[in-house]
Amino acid sequence: MIPSLLLRCLLFAVLWWVLAEGRIDGWWLGAIAVATATWASAVLLPPAAHRLRLVQMPGFVWFFLRNSIRGGFQVAMMALRGRSALQPGVLELQLNLPAGGARVLMTSVIGLMPGTLSVELAEDRLRLHVLDVRLSLAAEVGELETRIRALFGVGP
Amino acid sequence: MIEILSTALLIVGAFFYFAGTLGLLRFPDVYSRLHALAKADNLGLGCVLIGLALQAENVAVALKLLLIWPLALAASAGVSYAIARRADSLGIAPWRKEKQ
Repeated sequence: MIPSLLLRCLLFAVLWWVLAEGRIDGWWLGAIAVATATWASAVLLPPAAHRLRLVQMPGFVWFFLRNSIRGGFQVAMMALRGRSALQPGVLELQLNLPAGGARVLMTSVIGLMPGTLSVELAEDRLRLHVLDVRLSLAAEVGELETRIRALFGVGP
Repeated sequence: MIEILSTALLIVGAFFYFAGTLGLLRFPDVYSRLHALAKADNLGLGCVLIGLALQAENVAVALKLLLIWPLALAASAGVSYAIARRADSLGIAPWRKEKQ
């Protein structure tokens, strides 16, 4: 509980330093802001309630960056070729993720992965719109799900 | 050297914004337009921000610029899901290519 709050406090302090563009003449205002932010985060998101595996974070961020670059590139090429490049369809999948943060993260991140966009999340079923049904998107979505499971520390 | 890299990133960023806008104009329905906006524009924003951060006068300013990216990503991911979901609940069917 305490170490995690200290970590947040430190993060907010760095955030203040960044927002103030490295100036320290308003430090007292920053101190108030950091204290308030830490308090608000402790109330809104108690440290024990969710536990992200920080070890998994760099791997997830790297996976996300790689795929969002690929996704942006792919859709840019499709836009240049016009609608003849599209073969849209709908894909429905069963999520093997716990309710809450994990499913919300999955729903959001899918919109930035190549060729997929979340249309509706209902319980553990997620409906996707895909730009090109010929691409093997199910496997990619499966990999994202595995990564999110690792990030939230649920099973292998 | 940094100047060249920064300029190159800004140009690449502008290209992705251009492609995203092109997709918005050319794609046939709300869902595929959302793909173009969410993905291409975010990549464009990422390139532009890294390009600008390279020219920043100190580390804090550079980090401040880079901080914009995850915030815009989160907003864009959430908003495109919200729009897609609303379109779906209004019964807008996705555009399908006619069989030749």
